[in-house]
Amino acid sequence: MKKLTVTDVTLTFGGLNALTNVNMDIQPGLITSVIGPNGAGKTSMLNCMSGFYHPTTGELKYGDTRLTASSPHEITSLGIARAFQNIELFSGMNVLDNLMLARHRMLDYSFLDAFFYTKKASRVEAENRDYVEGVIDFMELEAYRKSTVGNLSYGVQKRVEVARALTLGPELILLDEPMAGMNIEEKEDMVRFIMDIKQERNTTVILVEHDLGVVMDISDQIYVLDFGELIGHGTPEEIAKNERVIEAYIGEE
Amino acid sequence: MATNRWLATGNFFSTYKEEQRIFLTNIDRLTIWSLIAALYAWPLIFQMSNKNMLVIDSILVAVVAVIGLNMVTGFAGLISIGHAAFVGVGAYTAALLAASWGESHAILTHAWPLVILFSGLVGAVIGGFVGLPAMRLKHLYLAIATLSFQMIFTWTINFMTLFNQGQTMPLPRVFWLTGKVVRKDHYFFWYFVILTVIVMSGFAVRNLMRTRYGRCLIAVRDNDRAADAMGMHPGFTKVYAFALAGFFAGMAGAMHAYLFRGAGIESFSLHQSISYLAMAIVGGLGTLSGSFFGPAAIQFLDLQVENLSAWAGTILGSSMNLATALRPLTFGLVIVLFLIFEPRGIANWWRITRSYFKLWPFRY
Repeated sequence: MKKLTVTDVTLTFGGLNALTNVNMDIQPGLITSVIGPNGAGKTSMLNCMSGFYHPTTGELKYGDTRLTASSPHEITSLGIARAFQNIELFSGMNVLDNLMLARHRMLDYSFLDAFFYTKKASRVEAENRDYVEGVIDFMELEAYRKSTVGNLSYGVQKRVEVARALTLGPELILLDEPMAGMNIEEKEDMVRFIMDIKQERNTTVILVEHDLGVVMDISDQIYVLDFGELIGHGTPEEIAKNERVIEAYIGEE
Repeated sequence: MATNRWLATGNFFSTYKEEQRIFLTNIDRLTIWSLIAALYAWPLIFQMSNKNMLVIDSILVAVVAVIGLNMVTGFAGLISIGHAAFVGVGAYTAALLAASWGESHAILTHAWPLVILFSGLVGAVIGGFVGLPAMRLKHLYLAIATLSFQMIFTWTINFMTLFNQGQTMPLPRVFWLTGKVVRKDHYFFWYFVILTVIVMSGFAVRNLMRTRYGRCLIAVRDNDRAADAMGMHPGFTKVYAFALAGFFAGMAGAMHAYLFRGAGIESFSLHQSISYLAMAIVGGLGTLSGSFFGPAAIQFLDLQVENLSAWAGTILGSSMNLATALRPLTFGLVIVLFLIFEPRGIANWWRITRSYFKLWPFRY
């Protein structure tokens, strides 16, 4: 598995620095959390990693591949998947089609195969359906398989969002506040899923989350952002003692 | 376990391939195939006058065109107000072949299916080219870009001598296994040809919609940011949607030209583009069955209003001008009423009817 490195990334929106000289070193196979108060630049960081924003200066590298100027679909093909903070599902389709869309790149039949629905198209569709069913099983979405996504409850939609990112078969998954707005049971479920993503599916996880309790419990490594600047990183124990972090969250005495 | 393939109840699937089928029950399959058989059989039983057959044929041509429009506007969500121009591209491709090879060249008279297919491909290329702004533009701005293609098309045809400056460019009568299709059988013959094209297009669209090449269209409609994150290029997908629309439109155009034995600009005007859009909306955007209902409904309405305005003209004085205003008036009214009361179109009534009969005789 490859390492994601962020070197001196600065992101500027017309005079406003969303990120200033941020350095990160995402170790493969671990859960890395990015935390910080509102407007700290967490989602901007994730957008840079997934190609929706391009950093003004600095560099992002996945293994030896430069990501700085890549577009989202190029980054996806490298094995980096992303779940959105505000649910961005294909709301008119059912769960199954949403997940099959994530297999888009793996469905390697030609246009004419599709036009005439040849044996090859049918076989490839069935194979990928099998993969999708694996993810549905993993994320416990069996009951919602044929439901239209727009009609599902918020918590389930969030789960479909994570499932869709997993269906891409990534090595690294970016989760943007997967637990925001959930009740305690849904949160516990989601934590269990994130732990399983790391352990069973052997996937690196980058987690942006506001719930510090959860972050401290499950993270292997934490980066703290405040006003676009990195103010601390380390293990949860180190972060809990870091004075700049405490200051950013609670304020000065 | 005994398998039941006739009813939806007890029809259990044990492989993924079983669930891919277009017809999930035998009743579905039987219904559709007998409907298609009936469509092929009825003109043989009931003798229609040439005039009525022409009306039906032009509905069928519009169906093929609206299938194309539904690909781009219905499934991919990109408003195209230049669809008649794409149909025109197909018609003028066939007409140009006739003009450059001579009107009775063997390819045009004997290999006409190839001419129709070729016109479709030319339509696809032009469609893809016109769709290029979709890489950057969205919503209303894209609609204006397609409108500009409509304008460019009309002006090009009107001012270039190559296209006979918009005057009709002739096309020959075609040959079938029984020999030359004569005047008496012309519309009768084309009914079967266009129906065959519709049946094939219908199945092709259903096939596309259950593969990645159809799902990607809905993906860019619903959320093109997420589509990007799913690893597809949203820009190219939109261009592809336009190419697909151009393909069906091109075929429709070539058939239109053969049917009317010529191509003239008045059939491919902006007004016709809006008509296609109205057909797609009334039929139901983003549905295959809507592409069949929409053209039929609009053409039928058009005929009725024509009769009505002729009748109104006899009782009202010509100074009132009501008779001429009646047609655009009802046309606009129908679209507005559909958008307010049934935005999902006639296809939704069809869906409701189907689900009623699925449960019959029970209510739920």
